[in-house]
Amino acid sequence: MRTTNRTRMRRLRTALGAVVAALSLALAAACSSGGSAQAGGGPTSGVTITMWTRAGTQSQTQALIDAYNASHSNHVVLTVYPNEQYPAKIASAAGAHALPDIFTSDVVFAPNYVSQGLWADVTDQFDALPFKNDVVPSFIKAGTSNGRLYAVPHALDLSVLYYNKALYRQAGLDPSKPPTTLAQYAAQARTVAKLGGQIHGSYEGGNCGGCVEFTVWPSIWADGGQVMNSGGTQSYIDSPQAQAVFQIYRGMFADGTMAPGAKQEDGTTWLGALQSGDIGIAPGPFSWYPLLLQKGLDMGVAPIPGVNGGSSTFIGGDVAGISSTSSHEAAAWDFLSWTLGDQAQVNVIAKDHEVIARTDLAQNQYALADPNVVTVNGLLAKGQTPYALNFNATYNDPQSPWTTTLRGALFGPDLTQALSSGQTAITASLQQQ
Amino acid sequence: MMTTRTARRRAAGLGYYGTAGALAILFLLPLAWSGWASVRTPHGFGLASYRNMIHYGDGIGTYLRNSLEVTAMTVAGTLAVSLLGGYAFGRFRFPGKNLLFLATLAILMVPYPTILIPLYVLLGWLGLQNSLAGLAAVLVMFQLPFATFLMRNSFEAVPQELEDSAAVDGCGTFTALTRVMIHVVRPAVVTVGLFAFLAAWNEFFAALILLNSSDKFTLPLAVVDMEGRTFGSIDYPTLQAGVVFMAIPCLFLFLLLQRSYVRGFMSGALRG
Amino acid sequence: MQTTTAAPVARAPGDAAGAGRRRKRAGGRSRRRALAGLGYAAPTAAVVGLLFLVPLVLVVWMSLHHWPLLGNPTFNAPKNYTDVAHNTLVATAAWFTVKYTVVTTVVLFTISFGLALMVQHPRPGVGLLRTAFFLPAAVGFATASLLFLGFLSSAIGPVNPVLEHLGLINAPVDWITGSPGGALASTVTLVTWRFAGFNMLILLTGLQAIPVELYEAARMDGCSRWQTLRRITIPLLRPTIALVLIVMTTGSLLAFDQFYILTKGGPDDSTTSVVMVIVREAFVRFDLGSSAALSVLVLLVLLVLNVVQLSFLRRREEK
Repeated sequence: MRTTNRTRMRRLRTALGAVVAALSLALAAACSSGGSAQAGGGPTSGVTITMWTRAGTQSQTQALIDAYNASHSNHVVLTVYPNEQYPAKIASAAGAHALPDIFTSDVVFAPNYVSQGLWADVTDQFDALPFKNDVVPSFIKAGTSNGRLYAVPHALDLSVLYYNKALYRQAGLDPSKPPTTLAQYAAQARTVAKLGGQIHGSYEGGNCGGCVEFTVWPSIWADGGQVMNSGGTQSYIDSPQAQAVFQIYRGMFADGTMAPGAKQEDGTTWLGALQSGDIGIAPGPFSWYPLLLQKGLDMGVAPIPGVNGGSSTFIGGDVAGISSTSSHEAAAWDFLSWTLGDQAQVNVIAKDHEVIARTDLAQNQYALADPNVVTVNGLLAKGQTPYALNFNATYNDPQSPWTTTLRGALFGPDLTQALSSGQTAITASLQQQ
Repeated sequence: MMTTRTARRRAAGLGYYGTAGALAILFLLPLAWSGWASVRTPHGFGLASYRNMIHYGDGIGTYLRNSLEVTAMTVAGTLAVSLLGGYAFGRFRFPGKNLLFLATLAILMVPYPTILIPLYVLLGWLGLQNSLAGLAAVLVMFQLPFATFLMRNSFEAVPQELEDSAAVDGCGTFTALTRVMIHVVRPAVVTVGLFAFLAAWNEFFAALILLNSSDKFTLPLAVVDMEGRTFGSIDYPTLQAGVVFMAIPCLFLFLLLQRSYVRGFMSGALRG
Repeated sequence: MQTTTAAPVARAPGDAAGAGRRRKRAGGRSRRRALAGLGYAAPTAAVVGLLFLVPLVLVVWMSLHHWPLLGNPTFNAPKNYTDVAHNTLVATAAWFTVKYTVVTTVVLFTISFGLALMVQHPRPGVGLLRTAFFLPAAVGFATASLLFLGFLSSAIGPVNPVLEHLGLINAPVDWITGSPGGALASTVTLVTWRFAGFNMLILLTGLQAIPVELYEAARMDGCSRWQTLRRITIPLLRPTIALVLIVMTTGSLLAFDQFYILTKGGPDDSTTSVVMVIVREAFVRFDLGSSAALSVLVLLVLLVLNVVQLSFLRRREEK
């Protein structure tokens, strides 16, 4: 009761401070010192910890929670939201001070949440971990601001090419020779597409900003291009590399190599399309690998190539942090630190064919048993995690300038025009305060 | 002569009932289809979709309870405020009466989002963020123009003698309301209650803005989220089970109280 | 704005005090009744004041600030308003919303009016017809949107198989997201299905207020059906028609649920409505100030539109 009164008071003061901001320096200082989570965190055992995540990485999160709940006195309760609505839900819950103890976030949105102060500072706790130097660096960067850490890796997800070995054999392709250039990818897709009937060459989220950035940007990177500056304030999408990459995808859409649903795919039925077993070769998140295996598909996994060879990947996935409003900070950290430990990383995540967050554990028994996992672990060193404060509004939101740009580039009348006007719009959105 | 006219009339009647009947079927078809689709399974018919729906998220029980709470609070709040307000506007003279009445009706003129964005901030200040009571209070506000208008008209229509006789019996104004007047305006009470129920039970936009965590979600929010229930494909049958689950109480209440509903239109909404 | 909106709340107690001062002059009974009236109106005043008038002032106040979802607001007027001019999504959305409003109003009104005429006169079975047409209106609008998400889908919806069977289409069509035209048609179909019966009922109450004798006189004079409609029904129904049109245009200009649930604003932002942009500014861009500025603009547009419609109506009535 007292705490709610105190937060109410603080909010009231914040409001007053807004009205007479110029006169109330002292008050403002009081507010900011009250805002940081110095509480120290409550009990560490026998606590119910609430946690939110998005549907996309639910299975991995649930597996971690089940293992943790079975061996600890704390109890983590998970709530899952649909992918598309998750960022807006986090934002409105944050504004209403209704966040759970822990919430995950797509790693690319993390800088925004960090800058908004949604997560508690876990720098000191993290620095005490013996393996702190072996945790995947691009994720640590996304969760860091001014040298302080606010979120840790939770579920890694890399973009890869999946190819259906059965369809490859049927179409007379060699299943041991996946494409090494983007043109080969398109050519192999066209060969499979010739099988006809229900079978299609390839698939893509043609109406999904998140899907296309995840699967198409690696080709641009593989060719030495960049999509943004490192501070995430200037778009470079109007580049020769991007032009060449989009040209190839455009061709696959234009001649029907892409399955009919791909043009309007907003991400919701992307996995379903790959699970159908009717697609020859298509990019996708590696986190779906177990889900494809479950369907009995014989899937090969290859790196996403550039136009001129080379390869790269989008190191995506989720980070997790403790809400700055949580009163179970210590218990929540107990869970988060456990998820990064050897036991959870190897016996939960690696066992489930997922990518682990620790470079020192890459040679674990499960990874060594599956050549596809070895391929993907090798990609970690080449991949990138793009960084921008306004990532969601600029790239992933259905009304984002990036979605307009990619639609123009893939289906519009003029590729060059789409990329150049897109670069302007994206830059404007990145710089919006 | 007579026979051709009869024949022509019969043909016209046939044409009328043919067209009208076809249209009626067209209007009923989506509802019937939804019910049908919700019990379809890959192997025939069954209740698998309803089982999926019941176990969705925090369990349908949570959302149902939230919906019932919001609906009950909205109906009770709307009735209490509009009954007293309608009594005041219909039977009393007091300073500021017209201004307050106009301000109440002005709620109709203001777009939903115009008022919900600041309400999101305001309810936060009041400590009512992410709360069912806060949502219900907002829904009461949205119901007030119609409810107050209808109540005022009903109270105005009560004959003066009735009120006088209550006064002669020594009743105060409040006793007159609870003992005498309320029976006369009962049809309006039913109508206002029905409208408040339908509005609160079905509200989506205000709930979307004002409720932020899934343990507080009402049925419409939860069922909309079911679209992404199974990652990788849209589970349409479960969605339709949710649709049926939400629609049944409304259809039932409407068919039961159709008369009050239509009367609400006649006496309230249109004189304005 | 502030003075008018604050007035009723502030005035109630003030006037009560004023009434108190007049105690000696005025008789006790009317004063007591005024006080009682005030008491009964107090809950209404509280709800209207706190949840309607205060937010109305607050939205204007917010629109003058950089008001992030979290953190402290800072004064930045008139940036939120000038930024609207550079927001291309606002322009797209405004244009679409107008287009949608025109199409919906025309289609919905035509069908509602047709249905009302169809069930105007009592004959056997007409009650059943009215119920059938009205029944969709009892279903919530979000519920109806979800229903149509399945009904029009190529995955399980019956529309594609039926049309294919009739030979009207060769391959399944992705109605909802396939093309801007399809998306617009899908939402208009949904809205017509959900609201035609509702509007029919409003028009019907107007129609039933027209004296039957007028129709009989017209028939005596040998008027055709069309002449009766033009000379009697429409002129006498004008106030009701105006009401229905105002409700329809306002509802369409503020459309949100059907786009949020059914088309998600797509394809290519082609069905992104103004209200969707307001929500996006607040919860995707975290900018409540900009969202408030757009809300204020929408409010002004609607006020102007309603005033124009009402004055037009009044002038007609005076004629």
